[in-house]
Amino acid sequence: MSASRIVVERLSKRYSRASRVPARRWRDLLMRPRQLPSPRPPALDDVTFTVRAGEMFGVIGANGAGKSTLLRLLGGIGRPTSGRVEVVGRIGALLDLGGGFLGDLTGRENATLAGVVAGLTRAEFETRLPAIVDFAELQDFIDAPLHTYSSGMAMRLAFAVAVHTDPGVLLVDEFLSVGDLAFQAKCLQRIRLLQDGGCAIVFVSHSMDQIREMCDRALWLRHGAVAACDAADRVAAAFEEEMRAETIRRTRDVPPKALPAGGVLRMHENRFGSLEMEISDVTLRPGNQIRPGDALEVEIEFHAKERIEDPVFVVTICRDDGTICFDANTQASGAVVPALGDNGSIRLLISRLDLGRGNYFVDVGIYERTWTHAYDYHLWSYPLTVEGSSAQKGLMVAPCRWELGTTALAASIAKHAQVR
Amino acid sequence: MSATAAGRWQYAWDVLVVLVDRDLKMLYKRSSIGPLWALAAPLMQLLVLTVLFRGVIRLDVPNYAPYVFIGLLAWNWFSSSLLQSTSLITSSRALIRQPGFPLPLLPFVTVAVRLFHLAIALPLLLILLLMQGIRPSLVWCLVPLLLVVQFIFITALSYPLAALNVRVRDTQHVVGVGLQLLMFLTPIFYDPASLPPAVQAWYGLNPMVPIIDAWRDVLLKSRAPDLQSLTVVGLLGIGLLWAGRSIFVRESHHFVEEL
Repeated sequence: MSASRIVVERLSKRYSRASRVPARRWRDLLMRPRQLPSPRPPALDDVTFTVRAGEMFGVIGANGAGKSTLLRLLGGIGRPTSGRVEVVGRIGALLDLGGGFLGDLTGRENATLAGVVAGLTRAEFETRLPAIVDFAELQDFIDAPLHTYSSGMAMRLAFAVAVHTDPGVLLVDEFLSVGDLAFQAKCLQRIRLLQDGGCAIVFVSHSMDQIREMCDRALWLRHGAVAACDAADRVAAAFEEEMRAETIRRTRDVPPKALPAGGVLRMHENRFGSLEMEISDVTLRPGNQIRPGDALEVEIEFHAKERIEDPVFVVTICRDDGTICFDANTQASGAVVPALGDNGSIRLLISRLDLGRGNYFVDVGIYERTWTHAYDYHLWSYPLTVEGSSAQKGLMVAPCRWELGTTALAASIAKHAQVR
Repeated sequence: MSATAAGRWQYAWDVLVVLVDRDLKMLYKRSSIGPLWALAAPLMQLLVLTVLFRGVIRLDVPNYAPYVFIGLLAWNWFSSSLLQSTSLITSSRALIRQPGFPLPLLPFVTVAVRLFHLAIALPLLLILLLMQGIRPSLVWCLVPLLLVVQFIFITALSYPLAALNVRVRDTQHVVGVGLQLLMFLTPIFYDPASLPPAVQAWYGLNPMVPIIDAWRDVLLKSRAPDLQSLTVVGLLGIGLLWAGRSIFVRESHHFVEEL
């Protein structure tokens, strides 16, 4: 077999407007729309690159920059408007993992289905099944119906099947939410193994750290066009730099604003953003002094000067030495934020914050929906103190208890605990 | 996956087997009598029609029970396959997103699943025939031929319907209504010979008529079917299959964008 590779030459993809309207009716076929739809900007515009055998190639870019379209075209799903895609080698895909799984079927039945759909014959699948079950660590559950699985178990099974199809070309889309950390490490190791075996890998990620760590080269897509295609370090740095520069470039000069709880927001100092949408107030509940394991609610009141299409809200909790302890945004959580055009508020409910004793800041921000820049970002402005005994030294205080193996002793401990 | 032709056929066969197996399991996984439900629908229809047209309105058709049952089995295979086909692509998101998956196999899966239901009801048909004093004959060897012709014909219609419903979601409703209408234009529970000659001429336009006629000729009357009209339906089926598959393949490049 010739060495696996991906060659993409001057690839462009333009979706026609009509075909993007999901459910067209017969009415629309009979009656022509009065005005012709305006042409959409291309989803991919003149993209050229090559991925060699044994290479891990990163793809980054804001949402809607064409990453998914590119992966699809590489997988042979849909046709390019112009240009050429050449893929040599069997395509394996870590996209939409477990998408075809059915809860009523057993793990074995689902795995068979996934394996054959991914390109194995039944005989090929049967010989690989023991290795798949072993990899997914599901020996005791493989004949149980899938609806008894946790989502982590189902993902492990889906991943295990996908990497056991001997792909020559692997397409990966943000896979690292699979299972627990130990399993993620195993997945990475397996992907590295495939890479060493000559697999050409395309890896889409939003995490610049992952791109730096795993990829040799990377492609940065901006509005469907190639913004950069170079060594992964350089592309990741350029991407981060542009996001920062864009925010700073757009940061407006407005007079400092005093905060109710003390402190002053000064532009270019502890506040950045273009201010089309502003954070008017941030409230921490129950307050800015909590104990480890307490719930915390962060309410962000905002004011939008104009209509903003699905903005992204971000809350980050940093320790006073700069360590990021917690980070959440509405996009990653899948929270639906509609177009906003007035005053309003949004609340983040953290059911328990198991942070250790210390001083923290809650940084809040509102970003443009494709992360090109921040509308408003407040940092080091909302202090949060976590109180606790000085015996707790760790960064986090997770709920835990001790159990001793000796039954007599354990009983006596339990008795003491009750007395207390 | 081997690149040889034999390997590709083997793979296509395996995909077919696995997906048919999936659909059958999904249909009956949580039911207590499982696939026997495939008997319930035609049996109930048979009961209603026999009571109605034997007891209430007398239709003069000999061997009425097996006559109706043959019509019902052939018709149900046809109509349930087509109904199922319309939502085939819109309900297969995961398969559409799978690189390299041979989508054109999907209509075969649907038609095969429904053929399985027909097969389950065959023993009951045999009992009905024996009860009417009809004995197996050599002509029954033609049954596989009838199955092949009807299979091709149903699949040929499934392709364009599956593809069309992706763009125009009203298709499934139109097909549902259309099939109900067509059921009355197909001689399932009556004998077309009793209709006025002017109407009978138009009957030839419904391809399900020669198919059901052939089933009855072979099983009920133990005589060779009208091979001429069966050949016409067969050739029409092959032509439509080629055209429908081309439409399906051309449209399949847009499936992901539309869903």
